Amino acid sequence: MSRLNPFAKLPGLNTASVLLVENEEHFQQSLAEALVKETSVTVSVRLAKSFPLPVENDESRPRIDLVVFIINLTSELSFQSAEASLKYLEPGYFLGKVCFMVTNARSSSVPAERLDAVRRLAASLYCPLLFAEDQTQQGVTNAAERLLTILKVAAGFVPFTSSLYLSNLTRSTLPPDIDQPSFD
Amino acid sequence: MTRVPDMDSSENGEDINGVVERGGDPDGSSGQKETSTADMLRIKQQMSNQCFEMEVHLNAGKHRRSCSTSEAERDFSDQISELERVKTLQFNQMLALHRMQMWHAMEEKIKTNDPEADALKVVNERCMAHCCRIKQIQQETRVLQDEITELQKKRLEMKRLTHEKMKEMEDLMSRKEHPDTEKYKAALEKGQANLEKYKKMSIMAQNVLRGILLACKINWLDDPKLRDVAMTLEEFPITD
Repeated sequence: MSRLNPFAKLPGLNTASVLLVENEEHFQQSLAEALVKETSVTVSVRLAKSFPLPVENDESRPRIDLVVFIINLTSELSFQSAEASLKYLEPGYFLGKVCFMVTNARSSSVPAERLDAVRRLAASLYCPLLFAEDQTQQGVTNAAERLLTILKVAAGFVPFTSSLYLSNLTRSTLPPDIDQPSFD
Repeated sequence: MTRVPDMDSSENGEDINGVVERGGDPDGSSGQKETSTADMLRIKQQMSNQCFEMEVHLNAGKHRRSCSTSEAERDFSDQISELERVKTLQFNQMLALHRMQMWHAMEEKIKTNDPEADALKVVNERCMAHCCRIKQIQQETRVLQDEITELQKKRLEMKRLTHEKMKEMEDLMSRKEHPDTEKYKAALEKGQANLEKYKKMSIMAQNVLRGILLACKINWLDDPKLRDVAMTLEEFPITD
């Protein structure tokens, strides 16, 4: 089982590479389009459905600075696929180079346990958890902006900061009353 | 892969300290490629950041010590809480700094007399008015709250008194028959015993008198005094 290694390849000059992993392959398109609009650095976006990644692309794939798992809360499969993909990543990724992005958190058909489960997963891995709104253009732009902030740090573009430093600030924590029934 | 960290870690060592001084160096590069001086600096900074990360990862494996899981857990949670403490400290300090910056900016703005400053002044006045009102209302709330507390205290006191009185009454009710009836019973019995005694005495006396009257064959109908005495003899039944 070949895992993705964060330091197996040389970093690209003035380039940041991000891997968007989404089971539905729906939001990653619009997000990728918004991400490449960035002009100050060259952002290279790779899309994947789930891990393990196809072996034939191993040579051409650049070094991935940030892996983003996009979880659609309305489908349980999305969450399970993301969880199953985690074991294909080297542990070096979890020091600030993995991010979880959640869509459809406001939908009423979402059971509260799924969001709690995602929260627990993100908190146990010490990764940031972002919420994105994928229906509107503004939402996609906002999500891309926030991702870019984390991506720039992971690719080394922000002086005196590394993704490990940033992960201390963006780490998601569990609310203390997560086990108690909520008020909705 | 092993070659790269060795080469770059030395460059990295210089970089972290001397990144400012190196600014003057790549002057001639603007003519060579499309990338400008600033871009070159940025790229160099990026590379040094990446190398720093790789170096950290390499060094992470060097300081290993074996310890039990619980000790590791403890150390880990200690360090996490230390991290959290520093985070909150830094956050609060940033907030304070931002506050100071904002106030300074607002001051500067108000000193200039443009229409924006006027709008700012108007907003300021409104805020002050609101604050005064808030203070007033808070004062009133406090007074009302005190009154409520007083009333509640009184009510509680009343309840307590009522409770006490009820208990007293119940006590009295249950206790009243007892001492009275006891004394009463004793006196009653004594009186009754006395009555019986005197009754017996009088009956005996009457029987004796009746016997004497009959035996002596005294004509008591004619004498009124004797007749009264003889009449009273009929009142009590002859016992035994």
